[in-house]
Amino acid sequence: MAYVIETCGLTKRYGGVTAVSDLSLRVEAGRVFGFLGPNGAGKSTTIRMLMALQRPTEGRATVLGLDVAADSVAVHRRVGYLPGDLELYPRMTGREHVDWFARSRGGVDGSFISGLLERFAVVADRPVRELSKGNRQKIGLILAFMHKPELLVLDEPTSGLDPLMQHEFENLLREMTGEGSTVFLSSHELDEVQRVADRIAIIREGRLVAEDTVEGLRRAAPQRMEVRFARPVDPAGLQALAGVTVTATDGPRVALDVTGEIGPVLRLIASHDPVDLTCRPADLDELFLDFYRQPPEKEVSHAD
Amino acid sequence: MLTNVTRLDLRLRRRSTIWYAAGMALYALVVVVLYPSFRHQTSLNGLSGSTAAALFGITGPLTSPGGWLNANIYGNFFPLIMLLLTVGYGAAAVAGQDEDGTLGLVAALPIRRRGILFQKAGAMAVQALLLATAVAICVLVGRGFELSISPADTIAVSAAVVLMGLDFGLITMVVGAVAGRRGTALGAGAGLAAASYLVSSLASTISGIRPARYLSLLYWSAGNDQISRGVSAADFAALFAVGLAALVAAVVAFGRADLS
Repeated sequence: MAYVIETCGLTKRYGGVTAVSDLSLRVEAGRVFGFLGPNGAGKSTTIRMLMALQRPTEGRATVLGLDVAADSVAVHRRVGYLPGDLELYPRMTGREHVDWFARSRGGVDGSFISGLLERFAVVADRPVRELSKGNRQKIGLILAFMHKPELLVLDEPTSGLDPLMQHEFENLLREMTGEGSTVFLSSHELDEVQRVADRIAIIREGRLVAEDTVEGLRRAAPQRMEVRFARPVDPAGLQALAGVTVTATDGPRVALDVTGEIGPVLRLIASHDPVDLTCRPADLDELFLDFYRQPPEKEVSHAD
Repeated sequence: MLTNVTRLDLRLRRRSTIWYAAGMALYALVVVVLYPSFRHQTSLNGLSGSTAAALFGITGPLTSPGGWLNANIYGNFFPLIMLLLTVGYGAAAVAGQDEDGTLGLVAALPIRRRGILFQKAGAMAVQALLLATAVAICVLVGRGFELSISPADTIAVSAAVVLMGLDFGLITMVVGAVAGRRGTALGAGAGLAAASYLVSSLASTISGIRPARYLSLLYWSAGNDQISRGVSAADFAALFAVGLAALVAAVVAFGRADLS
């Protein structure tokens, strides 16, 4: 299968600091790929390497089958890009930005741009310095979408948008993917990504810690158990079981996460005279927080 | 379009370019209009020859047309204003715009990095030419005020000062592309220009500095009394060579730069 984005061992170091480490990703055509991670995880650095704005220290990336380093102009022609910290020219209006970028790209459909300006209710005739963060973000989105690119690389695209505009943005994403475009979208907000993404990768401290569909991640979520025993117990026995993490102990109460087989856990609990037991799957939010907190040495969770 | 980046940067620098050109033109006009009042005050010629006078670019008889223009325009203010313009733009065009966060959007367009750099060099040349043209026109107006100066020499010196400004501006761009910081680029460009000015101006009175004058781009443009002597082929060759080397270095450095 030809992938729209494929990275192999992508690494970026700034002096002694590793921003992205050995990142290997593959993004299929026509999908929305969510790239999640806390602030400073390496999302923007990865995106800048995909856009040939920064050179990888090691590894390589191909976009639309083209080597990013060697064919950056061809890549840029076919990709729409929204940077994470969008900055525009303060004295120029939104309309002037759109006109300039359209001229620079060439061959852009003016009626499509007009439609986007109307759809996002962009304040186009005032200098950008007078606009709110949300209005500037809408201009940035139009700059990324204006040439109907085959791939959209969007870094925190809904930052500053109100819920109505977020909804409009999500509709536009669906329309674009419906017409065959692929979207690579970074965010630090799970809610945003799980609404639109077919597949999610989670990056933490520059390393990939998980990659799966939203449902796949949900299935892989641990069972959260809380057990009350007749008397205080030593949790070491439970902790020693494979796939068990004791998250809290309070006298006779023990809380644990179970990712492995539940039978051995129940048998051990039964042998310690339990009084009460509750068990529920972890929320996706909790799962993501766990991924964010886990040490980077943890094995990458992949699923197809 | 091949000139889109040039036009964008010229637009972004529109106000400062106009103010630089208008201010310098007004100053030049005052200087040439005042010449008839000073041309017979030969006591002024005694000012030249001292180290203090040399520091201000005064190297010849003040009451001659060339000496007057050299002491008031070509030996000091004009090159310095040119340097303010080109070094300022050189620092802003790459490192400054990257710090502002706008350069990444431009670099993500289907334009080669070297194309962007060439267009920025073009924008710098247009700004420098506007300034030099404004000054040259005002100086040539001086022919109506007893300043008998050759139009060809005026144009040649103006061109030499433009080239000198572009040299320093491109060197500043190189530093900006390598360091990624506007302040570092500005400091390096301004520092080199200041050293160049000092060497060029003091070389006429301090013998120890004299051999170093060949290292000064000011010396090759207007610091060697070119307004009176004319600009030699060697002057132009030196300025072109440095400019070409700086342009190549800027293309390479910008091509390898990490942008935000």
